[in-house]
Amino acid sequence: MAAPQDDSDDGMDEFMEKFKTTTYKNAFSKDNWEEEFDKIPMFMKKAPEEIDSQSYPELACLQAMIHDEDAPPEEQAANLKDEGNEFFKEKNYKKAILSYTAGLNKKCGDQNINTVLLTNRAAAHFHLGNMRSALNDAAAAKKIKPDHLKALIRGAQSCIELRSFAEGVQWCDEGLKVHPTDKKLQELRATADKHKRAAERDARKAKIREKKLHGEKEALLAAITDRGIKLFQTSKPRHRESDGEEESSSAALSQLSLDCLSSQEATGARVFLDEQHILHWPVLFLYPEHQQTDFISAFCENDCFINHLALMFGEELPPWDADRKYHPQNLQLYFEDEVKDTLYQVKPETLLLKVLQHKRFFVKAGSPSFIVVVKGSPFWEQFSTGKKIRGL
Amino acid sequence: MLSDFEAAELLSFLTPEARPDVKGHTTSYILGLSGNRDGCRFLRTKPDIITALFALTSDPSIAIAKDCYFTLINLSADETLHQVLLTDIKVLQVMMKKVLDPEFVFSDQICSILSNLTRHLKTCKIMFKVLQEDVGVAKLVEIFCAESFNKKAKFHHLGPLLSNLTQLPEARSFMMDKDRCVIQRLFSYTQYQASVVRRGGVVGTLRNCCFDHAHHEWLLSDDVDILPFLMLPLAGPEELTEKENEGLPVDLQYLPEDKKREEDPDIRKMLLETLLLLTATKAGREILEKKSVYPIMREFHKWETDVHVTAACEKLVEVLIGDEPEPGMENLLEVDIPEEVEEKLTKADAREQEELEKEQERMKQEEEEEKKKRSDTEGSEKEQEAGLIR
Repeated sequence: MAAPQDDSDDGMDEFMEKFKTTTYKNAFSKDNWEEEFDKIPMFMKKAPEEIDSQSYPELACLQAMIHDEDAPPEEQAANLKDEGNEFFKEKNYKKAILSYTAGLNKKCGDQNINTVLLTNRAAAHFHLGNMRSALNDAAAAKKIKPDHLKALIRGAQSCIELRSFAEGVQWCDEGLKVHPTDKKLQELRATADKHKRAAERDARKAKIREKKLHGEKEALLAAITDRGIKLFQTSKPRHRESDGEEESSSAALSQLSLDCLSSQEATGARVFLDEQHILHWPVLFLYPEHQQTDFISAFCENDCFINHLALMFGEELPPWDADRKYHPQNLQLYFEDEVKDTLYQVKPETLLLKVLQHKRFFVKAGSPSFIVVVKGSPFWEQFSTGKKIRGL
Repeated sequence: MLSDFEAAELLSFLTPEARPDVKGHTTSYILGLSGNRDGCRFLRTKPDIITALFALTSDPSIAIAKDCYFTLINLSADETLHQVLLTDIKVLQVMMKKVLDPEFVFSDQICSILSNLTRHLKTCKIMFKVLQEDVGVAKLVEIFCAESFNKKAKFHHLGPLLSNLTQLPEARSFMMDKDRCVIQRLFSYTQYQASVVRRGGVVGTLRNCCFDHAHHEWLLSDDVDILPFLMLPLAGPEELTEKENEGLPVDLQYLPEDKKREEDPDIRKMLLETLLLLTATKAGREILEKKSVYPIMREFHKWETDVHVTAACEKLVEVLIGDEPEPGMENLLEVDIPEEVEEKLTKADAREQEELEKEQERMKQEEEEEKKKRSDTEGSEKEQEAGLIR
């Protein structure tokens, strides 16, 4: 008979005794127990990028089970769907897409699985910002199962992200036919509709602005041509396919702005028509003697040159005037007719408009320019040699 | 009218088995009868003929079926016929369901009949119940709003049908169900150019719904946003300042210069009435004020020529720019009007009505005088010409 204390006959006590004496072999080592922990599939926090059977034998085994080519397609597809969902949870959307795609490629006959694969892939694309792909997948899912709520929602969301708002409203309406009380669909419909109407408003506003600008441009050009002021054509005129005065006038105006931008003054100043229908021009004064220029951003056409000269040279002479000789009363103004190699003298009391209307005056680069020299200076003698001099 | 014997004879020709040409002549004749009031009243006394007509709507001959449908439309337009037309509900139920068939060729005719049958309250109640049970008003709205549900039918008459149905509070509840998206679908049709019937029906529906002031805040909220759709038909191409534009609801901003206003003065009046209804509550007034719709009404007032519509416009503007009423009076629809005041108001209304009518008369007379003058001068010109020729 056994002793009363020893009533276990399954050898448990002896087994437990061993623990007190024998060291446990194949235990986790003290140093890298965390690494080893991570290698056991059950305790893995995330799957390793590559699974090779050497370092991760158990995982490779599991994978082989999932990708078992012998299993029926529905099972394989379902497994791939689960795999994709796991990647999705980890926010590894690219891998999720690969799994879902593999699942779809099994072409299993189970339409439910296929719908879910497509809808989930759509979601993965959505989170990656591939809205077009998301929409395509949602549409494919909807084709298989027209009442699949998640596909309908995803489709509507994708349309909204693609700014295809009218389409988004359509998706919502389709969805609401089958799920009339779904809050998400109602919310999406309201959002899409709101954006659609805002976009329509923006288009209307832009059209009106464009028209206004166009009108302003036309008025400006009309003012210039009415005064008989000529704009200098650059050597490379732009040819447009469409004809008609409208095109050529806006071509001339856009040239005007283009040329202005390419002018030396980077201020972007342009001729403008004020509320009293008076033109104001950006004007350049050139001082060839010292290779200097002055820029007057808005010279009123009814203003005369002497006023500006008085302002610019009256009180203080510019620093570059080393010889201190550019006093207003000593200055002479000319404009150059390059074609005929002629200098036309402009009396300082003349109004700008008068000069601009001269038959040989061409406005270059949107900025009338004038040469300013000191009367009778040696520079002038030299400069004017070989050139014809005329009065207005 | 026909004798009983003649009526019995007609009936015998209206059986499905009758000779097609005889059948055809008979249905054609009955259609003619239904074209005037006496004919209708006569047919009212012959329910058997009406039953036969319903049956013959399924006749293989399109011409015969068509005649029957048009006859029923005429009959249903007469209120006194409603009782007899509704004697056998089952027949109506069968007819209603046909509307759901996207290939059915007489859907528009059925819609007209249904619309007529819902005009008056008593029959409307019965019709609503049947519609809800068999077809579902939701489905009707869906069909109404579908671009091309049925190639052979336009369903415009579902507009007035919905308008009639919303006389009933249960229909209004359904249309304005916050858990669904029903009434919102109708909004864009307030500007539907191609059919005045559809437009009028939709505006009528919206107006009826706005009698429920408990729903005003919801209707005016951003999620539902009924306001722009009531205002767009009244807004014109006149240019507003940038400041005025930016203050308007989005849909009313920067309207193009080819924007046309609603052509039908009755619809314009209904829109104004709807807007006026929305000013009944304080919340409604605040929202309308905040959305700065006044510039639109200002331009509209300048443009409008019909005296009745102008009167409605002025009433609305008065509320919009007027002061807030004292506390206790905030819901204008619920205020208790003391008796003497009510008397005065009724008298004032009557006077206003008189003046409006006088104004209309005056304008009519002026027009006629103009016409007369023109024809007079034309007459004398013709005489002169004739004289010359002579």
